[in-house]
Amino acid sequence: AKLIFTISLLLGTTITISSNHWIMAWAGLEINTLAILPMISKSHHPRAIEAATKYFLTQATASALVLFSSMTNAWYTGQWDITQLTHPTSCLILTSAIAMKLGLVPFHFWFPEVLQGSPLITGLLLSTMMKFPPITLLFMTSPSLNSTLLTWMALLSAALGGWMGLNQTQVRKILAFSSISHLGWMAIIITYNPKLTLLNFYLYALMTATVFLTLNSIKASKLSVLMTTWTKIPPLSATLLLTLLSLAGLPPLTGFLPKWLIIQELTKQNMAVAATMISLLSLLSLFFYLRLAYCATITL
Amino acid sequence: MDLSLILNTLMITTLTILIIPIALPLLSDSLKNSPTITTNTVKTAFFISLVPMTIHIYSGTENLISLWEWKFIMTFKIPISLKMDFYSLTFFPIALFVSWSILQFATWYMASDPYITKFFTYLLLFLIAMLILIVSNNLFILFIGWEGVGIMSFLLISWWHGRTEANTAALQAVLYNRIGDIGLILCMAWLACTTNTWEIQQLHSSSQMPTLPLLGLILAATGKSAQFGLHPWLPAAMEGPTPVSALLHSSTMVVAGIFLLIRTHPMFTNNQTALTLCLCLGALSTLFAATCALTQNDIKKIIAFSTSSQLGLMMVTIGLNLPQLAFLHISTHAFFKAMLFLCSGSIIHNLNGEQDIRKMGGLQKMMPTTTSCFTIGNLALMGTPFLAGFYSKDQIIESLNTSYLNTWALLLTLLATSFTAVYTIRMTVLVQTGFTRIPPLTPMNENNPAVTSPITRLALGSITAGLLITSYILPTKTPPMTMPVTIKITALVVTALGIAMALEMSKMTQTLILTKQNSFYNFSLSLGYFNPTMHRINTKTMLTGGQNIASHLIDLSWYKLLGPEGLANLQQTAAKTATQAHPGLIKAYLGTFALSTFIILMSMY
Repeated sequence: AKLIFTISLLLGTTITISSNHWIMAWAGLEINTLAILPMISKSHHPRAIEAATKYFLTQATASALVLFSSMTNAWYTGQWDITQLTHPTSCLILTSAIAMKLGLVPFHFWFPEVLQGSPLITGLLLSTMMKFPPITLLFMTSPSLNSTLLTWMALLSAALGGWMGLNQTQVRKILAFSSISHLGWMAIIITYNPKLTLLNFYLYALMTATVFLTLNSIKASKLSVLMTTWTKIPPLSATLLLTLLSLAGLPPLTGFLPKWLIIQELTKQNMAVAATMISLLSLLSLFFYLRLAYCATITL
Repeated sequence: MDLSLILNTLMITTLTILIIPIALPLLSDSLKNSPTITTNTVKTAFFISLVPMTIHIYSGTENLISLWEWKFIMTFKIPISLKMDFYSLTFFPIALFVSWSILQFATWYMASDPYITKFFTYLLLFLIAMLILIVSNNLFILFIGWEGVGIMSFLLISWWHGRTEANTAALQAVLYNRIGDIGLILCMAWLACTTNTWEIQQLHSSSQMPTLPLLGLILAATGKSAQFGLHPWLPAAMEGPTPVSALLHSSTMVVAGIFLLIRTHPMFTNNQTALTLCLCLGALSTLFAATCALTQNDIKKIIAFSTSSQLGLMMVTIGLNLPQLAFLHISTHAFFKAMLFLCSGSIIHNLNGEQDIRKMGGLQKMMPTTTSCFTIGNLALMGTPFLAGFYSKDQIIESLNTSYLNTWALLLTLLATSFTAVYTIRMTVLVQTGFTRIPPLTPMNENNPAVTSPITRLALGSITAGLLITSYILPTKTPPMTMPVTIKITALVVTALGIAMALEMSKMTQTLILTKQNSFYNFSLSLGYFNPTMHRINTKTMLTGGQNIASHLIDLSWYKLLGPEGLANLQQTAAKTATQAHPGLIKAYLGTFALSTFIILMSMY
């Protein structure tokens, strides 16, 4: 059974990525949604069922909106090409739909709860694999998107990701908010230099995968549990420290690279204020990364 | 005959001789200092210093020696330059004479002190610092002497350092002097920046001399010479032994401030503001001190206040643009004030430590020498005709009367003169006359030559000094020659009124009537309420201000409230508010999504 779900997941992702027609993209997104639902609710725990329900409702709405925006565009321009999405309304609706799929503010409310309700590996898939198709769609339509809207959403994401993450003790929720924050960084640069979005996503996927897999090995789901895990696999705790700092974006670790390039590109595009604001807001997430690192590595 | 060579050599010899008792014991262990050695050194120095003074009187020779030069920066050189002019040549013998007498007296007064040699060394150091101040031609060397006398004053006032009052008095002296030093440094800085020199003879007065350096100098004189405002240290300094009070706080140190004004006098001549300030400040000081002296019961405090009053009078003279007259008053005042202190020292020791005049009386018969000289000193202080004080004091009051300056200052000074007579007579009556109030078994013995010869020597000086100095010195400014009879005898009349009133009032004290509370009496007794108000208010303001800035403002406000902790609190509030917006209700979430989409469509269109 697990095999079917995994293959469906891969299938759905591949279909969306390689599509040129909006219907194909939508089909891929739907396959993804349906495939991951059983994986979320595998343990039949009420929390997991609730997470699955929330996930389904949100993603269904988002997919409907994707379809709606592509139909509006087809009505006005007469074609279903993904890269030719030129009608302004379509762009706006598509942006909100993709935001809902990804988890950008103000469409992020579902994400922490879903992640909290699912097991860690599923959470990993939710954070990395499930984000890939929407980002691809955003990448393909990036020339026509409204940069003001995206900038606002990005800044709010960074802010809310930071503030909410500060108040959490459950590790999965912290990772959810860190994901929201990183998505903000990805969204802010997409209209100026979409390649940087992709770079940011790849590196983020790598780092998050590391964190999720580490947490899965040491079976830590709360901060208090995290504090006693150093006895299990000590070198792993050490590398977890470095990975978390890399997520925070500290030079000379890898996580600094996308941030640096994004800030550079924003400054070149006369968006220095936005660059400053998003950097400052990332400081908030730095604090909870440090808290995670402290709990994992500072032995009592 | 090369008079200037002799003059130079002998002046330098005088200074060198004084350093020997201090320097030689440092070089070899077998050479020790002793009180008699110190006294004899000063005596020798006195006799040597008479020769340059005579040369000056005979031929008017003045000299300026410039020794090594300190190349401070390329354009500003500070030489060690000593000026032997009328002021320094005359003051040297006077200061050395008075010091010799005081040191001789101190061999008796401090005989029971285990550290008597250290005491004499301190006095000698003080004397050297004072003489450096007098003979300097250069504000830098003067400042060295100035600070030297300040420090020695501190060390000597707190000689009996086991006594808290002595320690606080010494601290008071240093603090008030320091405030005055600010003024002196201000003037020196201004001169260095504007005229690029600190030499006295290069101080000239332009027609518009800025008041700032002069204010600095007046502040320095206020601090050092205990003018009103920075005066409390002088009565408090009576905690030191009597020889210290005699040397420092009557004849030499306190006149340093006035001497500074005399030396820098060319700067003052054209600036009427500074002169008026001196005049009014001096008048206020002299009246205030005289008022405070009226109700004091400690013999040394009365004499201290009278010193303060005479210093005010010297300041008045400076304000009248008569530096030479001020110097004359300094010289004559040194004699009788030192003698008054020595007599009081003798009385105190003979009464086994009693300083309260209400517990003395009838000493005329028991200590004839001391009390006769005491009377001579008091008469000289009051300005009795043809004693020493008359020549300077009367001339000052005449000049004040015939000038076109401040009437208020004149009235205050006249009032102070009569008060001088009042408190002097009160002191004399209570100490020397009437029934004796001393305890029965008092070992009274004044027959020691170490006591009587300095006092009689100074008495001789008090009588003759005025006449001698005025006979041999030509005044640089013409004194007023003619004036109406009333003006001429004003000082005498006022003094006589004071004497009469004091005698009358002292008779009243022998009738037993309960005295009522009198606000004037209370004002005089509490020294004008100056000490409690100013000391408390100033220190409390400064300390609370400091605490406010350092602790409240910087630590608590900036760091905690506004700075880092404030920022952290803001983030906490934001996090809490944001958490409340995530209640977990899917209907709310979906509603938010719809609303956001709607807003996006509407606003971005």
